[in-house]
Amino acid sequence: MKVSLNWIKKYIDLPKDKTPKDIAYDLTLRTVEVESIEDTSLKYDKIIVGKILEVKKHPNADTLRICITDIGRENPVQIVCGGSNLYEGELVVVCLPGAKVYWHGEGELVEIKETKMRGESSYGMICASSEVFLDSFFPAKDESEIVDLTNIDCHVGDKISDIVCMNDTVLEIDNKSLTNRPDLWGHYGIARELSAIYDTPLKPLPKLEIDKSLPKYDIKVEDESKCKRYVGVEISNVYVKESPMWLKAALINGGMRPINTLVDITNYVMLAVGQPTHAFDSTHVSGNKIIVRNAYKDEELLLLDNTKVILTEDDLIISDEEGPLALAGIRGGKKDSILDTTTSVVLEVANFTASTIRKSGKRFEEKTDAGIRYEKNLDTEKVTEGLNLALSLFKELYPDSKIVAYGEEYPSATERAKIDVSKEFLNVRLGKEIPEETVTKVLKNLGYDVTVSDGVYHTIAPIWRSTGDVSIKDDVMGDIARLLSFESFEAKPLTIKFEHAVHQDNVLLERRIREYLANRCGFNEIFTYPWIDIKYINAIGIDTSKCVSLATPPAPELKVLRSSLIPGMLEAISKNLRYFNEFKMFEMTEVYEKGEYHESTEEETLPIHKKYLTGALVGKDAKELFYIAKGVIENIGKYTHMESLGFIHEEKPSWADKNAYLNITLNNEKIGELGLLSVKVMNEAKIKRVNVAIFEINSSKFIPFPSRTNTYKSLPILPLVEKDLSIIVDESITWESISKYIKSKVSELIFVEEYKGEKIPIGKKSITLKVKLKSEDKTLTMEEINKVMESLVKTLNKMCGAILREE
Amino acid sequence: MLEKLESIKEEGLKKISEITKTEELDIVRKELTGKNSELVFIMTNMSSLSVEEKKSVGMKTTEIKASFENALKEKEEKLIDSMSVLDTPLDTTIPGSSVQTGSLHPITQMCYDLNDAFASLGFEVYSENDISSEKFAFDNLNFAPDHPARQSMDTFWLQGTEEKSGTERLCLRPHLTGGSVRYLMAHGAPARFVYPGRVYRNETTDARHERAFFQYEALIVDKDISFSSGMVMIQTILEKVFGRKINVRMREGFFPFTEPGYEIDMECLVCGGKGCKVCNHNGWIEVMPGGVIHPNVLKSAGLDPEIWTGFYINIGLDRLVMMRYGVDDVRLFHSTDLRFLKEFK
Repeated sequence: MKVSLNWIKKYIDLPKDKTPKDIAYDLTLRTVEVESIEDTSLKYDKIIVGKILEVKKHPNADTLRICITDIGRENPVQIVCGGSNLYEGELVVVCLPGAKVYWHGEGELVEIKETKMRGESSYGMICASSEVFLDSFFPAKDESEIVDLTNIDCHVGDKISDIVCMNDTVLEIDNKSLTNRPDLWGHYGIARELSAIYDTPLKPLPKLEIDKSLPKYDIKVEDESKCKRYVGVEISNVYVKESPMWLKAALINGGMRPINTLVDITNYVMLAVGQPTHAFDSTHVSGNKIIVRNAYKDEELLLLDNTKVILTEDDLIISDEEGPLALAGIRGGKKDSILDTTTSVVLEVANFTASTIRKSGKRFEEKTDAGIRYEKNLDTEKVTEGLNLALSLFKELYPDSKIVAYGEEYPSATERAKIDVSKEFLNVRLGKEIPEETVTKVLKNLGYDVTVSDGVYHTIAPIWRSTGDVSIKDDVMGDIARLLSFESFEAKPLTIKFEHAVHQDNVLLERRIREYLANRCGFNEIFTYPWIDIKYINAIGIDTSKCVSLATPPAPELKVLRSSLIPGMLEAISKNLRYFNEFKMFEMTEVYEKGEYHESTEEETLPIHKKYLTGALVGKDAKELFYIAKGVIENIGKYTHMESLGFIHEEKPSWADKNAYLNITLNNEKIGELGLLSVKVMNEAKIKRVNVAIFEINSSKFIPFPSRTNTYKSLPILPLVEKDLSIIVDESITWESISKYIKSKVSELIFVEEYKGEKIPIGKKSITLKVKLKSEDKTLTMEEINKVMESLVKTLNKMCGAILREE
Repeated sequence: MLEKLESIKEEGLKKISEITKTEELDIVRKELTGKNSELVFIMTNMSSLSVEEKKSVGMKTTEIKASFENALKEKEEKLIDSMSVLDTPLDTTIPGSSVQTGSLHPITQMCYDLNDAFASLGFEVYSENDISSEKFAFDNLNFAPDHPARQSMDTFWLQGTEEKSGTERLCLRPHLTGGSVRYLMAHGAPARFVYPGRVYRNETTDARHERAFFQYEALIVDKDISFSSGMVMIQTILEKVFGRKINVRMREGFFPFTEPGYEIDMECLVCGGKGCKVCNHNGWIEVMPGGVIHPNVLKSAGLDPEIWTGFYINIGLDRLVMMRYGVDDVRLFHSTDLRFLKEFK
């Protein structure tokens, strides 16, 4: 919303020492956010009134003239101009060198320079209105018409900004900061806030009270739940004309375009007090009767721009005996609009409820200024304020106009909120004691009525704040706090009670896991959206009937919410393959599936949530990737201090290669999977030229240990002997079985390497292992060591046909 | 004889001085003072000499032997000093080998930084699930029944529930604040906790707008505390993030779940508060909303607002990370682009 400080000054005397910047700052801290400050006169800098003394032909151009022009200096200047309406004695708008204009009313602003045009020197420019922000003030009939000021009260040398009343400062206020304040959607409301901030009196609005004994204008409100008050006043002896400069300037600086005086009055009232008003051409209101009713199903309303609106039974309309005239509070119709022929109007000042306006307004992309205000929930007394101001303007701008009829329906009036606030409450919550006079003064300046007894402020909130904004004592406290400025309250340190240390095992575990993967295992953490492209969901064959979906997804293919993190991981892999061919990523977040889950109450049934941990390792060597992934999971328990995870080879995940997968277990329960991505899935996900190992675990199942779980073993007194052993076995013999046969015979058994290839017969493989041997009481001799090694080979030979591999 | 010894000494020392490798030390030592050396031969064949001669030759041989030892020792030290573990020169300008390349997401990093700061003030970490209901996302938080945020243009409602209301109308949570009521229902008051998380809005995205983004909310509920204590939480966050004290101001702001509510601005770090492009020439940048918990919210959580009060602050983590590093597109956080993510160590 735009706020003109000239307009504000009609209602209060701003302190002399406050600059517009100060005012913007004070408003921002206490009331609404001022986003920018504009000095409107800057646009008219170096643009003045000149008088053409002589018009001469241009020797080198037929369409140009040379104007000898008086610009209020000792000597007249020569200006070349192509205007169609140049004559001697004409008062014109002159842009002096340095002024900025839109050349022919188009493009970017350019700076005028002293120049030569077709060989003739030209000191500045004589302007058309569209070239210098004057179109609204002096509408031109055609492009080449320059502004003729001869009939305007002005003198040579006058600044144009003075003539069009544009020596103003405009504050641009962030509309979002006004959503809860219906009273601030007009200049009078902002003036009231400033009067409270600076403790300076607020002047009354101009008003003309109506003589209620006038003939009655017929008004009927059918749905009283949607229209709380409706006033219609018929005014005759009016006509369409241009508004005076001050009114045009006020509208422009308030963010609206002047149209004609009849329409301008209604807009001015809205910008002044925040109450929308509307003027119908009364000759078009059939039957001289206004009916406020719900539309019939499929009833049509033709708008000003000739578009048709199909109405529903939820829409509140203004109708005459024939049919709809306007969509109440939102858009006027074509039928009743003000035309050049209009001579009498019906002025509507009404209160429509916020929800009605919001519902009906939804069909249009852009909200109207009236709609925006109604949506904030206006009080019914504002109708009186708006009406009286409008009538005073009619009197001023149409002295011969006549109010011929008056009608009003007032089904329900806004009531002022009565709120008691104890001093004790204020002192505690504000953190300091505010003197009674200060509190009373602040509240009274804002329009509250206040009496004090027994340590309690008995307040009655102003009516313009009583439509929801102020309803409880905390609201009153908020008003006091902001008016005194939040900055005037010192930050009070919080007292810490040392009852116990914060100890949250699960929170800490999650962090340890992320840090383990990132810092020890070299994974990069990623975040994906919960809505996943259906292509990737289908790629791994997820049953989407069990998935939760969005009603209005960001895109049709993004409807299904994830029940696994793998589809998102596939997408991330395929994206990153453009830049990398070897990388590791993980994500740890929520997945959802249909089901019943009660988080806080029995009434609320939410889908099932689980937290999943998924990692992907991308690279060339599939086997290596698999074992790295396995190592990451094997060690996760140890390094993150939780119950360790195990593996079984039982059930193939849908996405996994038929040979390379494991189920991840925790205390014999399957909680996840690990494996290489199958060729089929990689094809579908467009993952090419690499292999991928993936793991996914339901990390909600993890069992954190309450503390670090390292164990201490005293260091061995006698040295351990290490021996390597390479054997050749059938391909089908697993490490697990080899380990089982000999584990008990050594103090430690370590897998070193599996090898197939040269020197190893087909169908066989070589396994290299390392054993550690020790004796409790003496150093082992070579002989003893060899004996143990021989017995190991013997056992393996007997159990699985292993033979020693020749060096 | 003595001349002979003198020449043994001279030759021996010469030999030692000609040694170039440590391996030669022992060979030369053996040659000069070993069993078969000339010197030892002389020492063991002195029987034909007179007592006097024996004495002087004895002294001389001992002296020579010692001088050999000294010379060898000196030589050894010299050789060791000149030795290198490398056989060829090393290009020390070649970059060092890289360390593990993994990293936490910059949002996670920021979140953990803040968790640490709040843990030091005795705050717990809480998290609510992503999917919530209209009851917790709006009703409990004092949103008006026809508040625009409840519409499907703004909030992601779940299919099949979008026409229902209250606990039966489910959505991806549009903010974290609903979680405050869940926590308070479960744990009661007094309470102090933070709850980081991701929230979802049905918006058109661009460099400054996202459909999924991260918030970090902190809440205190206690008796008899004043709203200005909220300043401490704000300063804690900013000090942690930027490593020094940052000037902040509180100004009027409106949110359904607070009364009074305020916006918190921090001094623009680019211009130091003088006014520049970044801060729209006013020296301040809006960083977070906050406010005193609205009594209706406390009532929803089963707490008596006559007894309890408290305040929120809610900070946009994406925006904070963007300010910390100068990131210019919010969509990068969900891009999964490793080129971006690897920039954050």
